[in-house]
Amino acid sequence: ENISDFSLNITDCTQVVVPEEVFFTVAAAGILENLLILIAVARNKNLHLPMYFFICSLAISDMLGSLYKTLENIFIILCEMGYLTRHGDFEKKLDDAMDSMFILSLLGSIFSLLAIAADRYITIFYALRYHNIMTLRRALVILAIIWTFCAGSSIAIALFSYEAATVIPFTILFPLMMFFILCLYVHMFLLARSHAKKIASLPTSTVHHRTNMKGAITLTIFLGVFLCCWAPFVLHILLARFCPHNPYCACYMSIFHVNGTLIMCNAIINPMIFAFRSPELRSTFKKMFYCSR
Amino acid sequence: MSALRLISNRTSQQALSNSDYTWDYEYYEYGPVSFEGLKAHKYSIVIGFWVGLAVFVIFMFFVLTLLTKTGAPHQDNAEPSEKRFRMNTSVADFGRPLESGRDFSHQMAEESQSLFHFCINEVDHMNKAKDSQKGPGLESNIQFQEVPRSRG
Repeated sequence: ENISDFSLNITDCTQVVVPEEVFFTVAAAGILENLLILIAVARNKNLHLPMYFFICSLAISDMLGSLYKTLENIFIILCEMGYLTRHGDFEKKLDDAMDSMFILSLLGSIFSLLAIAADRYITIFYALRYHNIMTLRRALVILAIIWTFCAGSSIAIALFSYEAATVIPFTILFPLMMFFILCLYVHMFLLARSHAKKIASLPTSTVHHRTNMKGAITLTIFLGVFLCCWAPFVLHILLARFCPHNPYCACYMSIFHVNGTLIMCNAIINPMIFAFRSPELRSTFKKMFYCSR
Repeated sequence: MSALRLISNRTSQQALSNSDYTWDYEYYEYGPVSFEGLKAHKYSIVIGFWVGLAVFVIFMFFVLTLLTKTGAPHQDNAEPSEKRFRMNTSVADFGRPLESGRDFSHQMAEESQSLFHFCINEVDHMNKAKDSQKGPGLESNIQFQEVPRSRG
């Protein structure tokens, strides 16, 4: 790290550089993991359910995020080695396309998490009518709408990124969605907790207090991971728009690569907390690996 | 996105430290930022942000565990049940996707029963509170007889 922290009057905050090897390893791990999930869901007919489709949508958006970072790095390396010109129109369009890919990944992530939370909410609160409410066709329609909206918004944001009018909705969307997801999960959690209390009052059951703690831990992990991985980047966008020349803001913006790496770490962690918690998916993985040997 | 392009600029600048800016399109000048006369530490936003984030997550965790420990808002009369309820599936795994498939039909059955049980209680309470709708009441009676749902 090139942080110079002697006295305050010296040099500016230099960019904190993440080594290329770390970058590519994290990106590759994210892409592979999410690809495996897509393959597993495609191969196992038991997993053709709305909830797994939403998990696949999350996997796709995570993959796009990691892919973006990888492509950007490869692009820069190619420029270093001289295979690509630096002043071309083509490069600019390529860069535009990659920016919109990244924003697509962020929006896709947020909406996929929202869809997963809503699906679980309906599973718990409308358990008896779940199959009528969330049919496979409806799930696919919902996913199509989500991705069309995300694609349109990402292209619009990438083209008109200079306007404050695009940055502000973009940064408001993030905490709003998070708050909504938090409310859904807290409501589910309260239901599970009061249900547990009912069961605890039954004479024949033994209740472990630890299982309630486990629910709290699970929920905190869900939301804490998403927040810690995406909020730094969103703050960066805000600061870059509104105070680029302020020294404090500039110092925050110097850790941009770390923020980018965090987003790729989110792509690695998300499958673990959503997809791999399903025993059916895990057994599909095992079959895939043992059959290939 | 201007921020991203800006950083692409800096990235490529970092990589080729001796050359000029490599992307040749419109962006606003980062410019030399003067760091004179700073009152607080220059990484104060970074530190403040991460500390705030950590505090928020820990606060959220404590609120959730507090919800665990305090009593339910209204005490319901627990109906005696002949069937066994599996604690794990109802509370700790609410974050897990509910399973389908032949192997998990047993788990599904018990989970469904526990969910039905609770839904019926809720519906009955809605009934008593509102004292208006007869539909949900009838519905709950009928659904109580229902075989646990099977997923296909």
